[in-house]
Amino acid sequence: MLKLRMILAILLGRAMRLLSRLLHRGGTDLPGRAALKLCPELLRLLSSEVKSLAITGTNGKTTSARIIEEAFREKGWSYFANRSGANLISGITTEFIMNADWRGRPRKDYAIIECDEAAAKKVFGQLKPRVVVVTNLFRDQLDRYGEVTHTLSNIREAMHGAPEALLCLNADCSLTASLAGDLPNKVIWYGVNKGAAPSRPQPAISDATHCIRCKTEYEYSYITYGHLGGYRCPHCGYARPKADVAVTDVVEQRADGSTVVIDWHGSRRVVEINLPAMYNIYNAVGALTAVTAMGIDADTAIAALGRFSCGFGRMEQFKLGKKGARMMLVKNPAGCNQVLEFLETISDPFALVICLNDRSADGTDVSWIWDAEFETLGRLGSRLRRVIVSGDRAADLRVRVKYAGVPDERITLQRDYETLVRELEQAEETVFLMPTYTAMLELRQAVIRHVGGAEFWE
Amino acid sequence: MQLNICHLYPDVLNLYGDGGNIITLTRRLRWRGIEATVTRAPIGSPVSLTGADFVFIGGGQDFEQQVLLEDLHRGRDREIRAAIEDGIPFLTICGGYQMLGSYYETYDGQRCDFIGALDLCTVGSKKRMIGNYKFQCTPEAGGSIVVGFENHSGKTRLGSGVQPLGKVLAGYGNNGEDGTEGAHYKNVFGSYSHGPMLPKNPAFADLLLATALERKYGNAELQPLDDRAELAAHDEMCAKL
Repeated sequence: MLKLRMILAILLGRAMRLLSRLLHRGGTDLPGRAALKLCPELLRLLSSEVKSLAITGTNGKTTSARIIEEAFREKGWSYFANRSGANLISGITTEFIMNADWRGRPRKDYAIIECDEAAAKKVFGQLKPRVVVVTNLFRDQLDRYGEVTHTLSNIREAMHGAPEALLCLNADCSLTASLAGDLPNKVIWYGVNKGAAPSRPQPAISDATHCIRCKTEYEYSYITYGHLGGYRCPHCGYARPKADVAVTDVVEQRADGSTVVIDWHGSRRVVEINLPAMYNIYNAVGALTAVTAMGIDADTAIAALGRFSCGFGRMEQFKLGKKGARMMLVKNPAGCNQVLEFLETISDPFALVICLNDRSADGTDVSWIWDAEFETLGRLGSRLRRVIVSGDRAADLRVRVKYAGVPDERITLQRDYETLVRELEQAEETVFLMPTYTAMLELRQAVIRHVGGAEFWE
Repeated sequence: MQLNICHLYPDVLNLYGDGGNIITLTRRLRWRGIEATVTRAPIGSPVSLTGADFVFIGGGQDFEQQVLLEDLHRGRDREIRAAIEDGIPFLTICGGYQMLGSYYETYDGQRCDFIGALDLCTVGSKKRMIGNYKFQCTPEAGGSIVVGFENHSGKTRLGSGVQPLGKVLAGYGNNGEDGTEGAHYKNVFGSYSHGPMLPKNPAFADLLLATALERKYGNAELQPLDDRAELAAHDEMCAKL
């Protein structure tokens, strides 16, 4: 009976997917949702023979997944991944349907699954991943999830559904690291062992100033960014665990990548990371930890870090304008600050396009733009040739950029993406595009219509 | 001229961009050639409120509330009450606003004593009141229309000792039932409005500055600013609601 239900659900899902594609929609979500209605256990049935690696956390899920993919590909493993950011149970189920035959037998051995933090509790119990990576926890879309501590309990509940999974945790995030205490899972820690001295002015906004266990204020021996670093509670002793896979030195940070030294379970290697910025160093070391936990050798995994490209709005490059363009998705203050810090390292003049939407996938509350340090832009001087604000909430962005200290005559508002892209094609300076999630989907389409690129479900 | 702005509890009450209110106040002063000094008074800070010309308190997460209450009851509560009675202007948002009331009672009946500076109390409800909203300030609070984003599960009821800050035009406000939003007592303005509140509501921001300057210097002639960007954002949200 269950078998019959499963087959019907698979057929229904496949039919809906076909229909979506005929109608030129992505069809990443709806087929799975419909199929799960018919057979709520469908994900468990389809994933039981597949070895899965799951990635959750606030920032860096997609980039981590792309690095992991590169390593799987290099190793020659047959795998699939939910590539297009369809990271709720419906989207994940769609991927499993499309990678199984009509009787539910898998066509691939491995799955790389990026999973929304709130959806994890529904997904992990069915998926039974072999390895789970939790990248970090920052404030994100609070109007949807409530507070960051609620997100933490969501993930904790999710892990109870997958007690066998090897858990790769970011040791530098006091919130993420607190997961280890009351879970049965074996934990592998990763992190960055060095950062700026904590004596530098603390960021105005930190998501975790006080001990998650006893509420005493943390002491930091160093900070890498946001609340990440070497924290220690002077009262109860809760502290950053020693990382099994650790970046011991950041040798160089360039506009196109970084060179770091990684201590991998006691052996030291110089590693090239093919994407710039501190947050991608974390994504790289997290992915390395996860991939080796799946059984891939460190050399193959490290080679992947130097080669992967992730696209889909994550430092994605386009041949737009005379000097080219890079698109950097922003979703929350922590990620946005990292992008702004990256822009500070750019020495050539550039134009910046920021697009802010307030649809449900972006978070309907746009107040977070005031938590992000846009003041960085005000300090860039004439290197920042112009700022173009766009998206549903362009007017709010305009006010934010004005109060950040960017001279008024350098700010323009352009809502129409076609006009915007046509204008950017003439740009003499490098272009950086900073959209929120749904704005990224639309802006990317407009850019691709002009200069080429891949469709979002490819 | 110069104003001392005190940001109380920026370490724990800093949700939803509320710090943008401080940015707005300081920019709008400096654009007019008035100096602004911002002092952060985190938990455990010895900074006294007596030198402040303006105090800002934002909203926070439940998790940090315990830390906060301990600090308040170490004497900060008496100091805040005295500052309010002394006529120091306050802007308090969401959690910071509730905190000035007499208590917060959770949905399952646990009562948490607050500082009782304002005649109001808050009771938790099951449903969160979330979304863009707008309200019209009372004539005593300038009468302007304010747009913001509210996100709270607490329902606040005002006692007879305070006035509402305004009347809800769209959204929930204090409790989603009596049509009131926020509270106004002496020079204290309490509101549920994140967004943050001040950048898109320049008339209200200037009312706060004028109140502080008048108290300190006895006159509050504010030069007009070019508010086209601010008003465009304000009017756009106003039209949507």
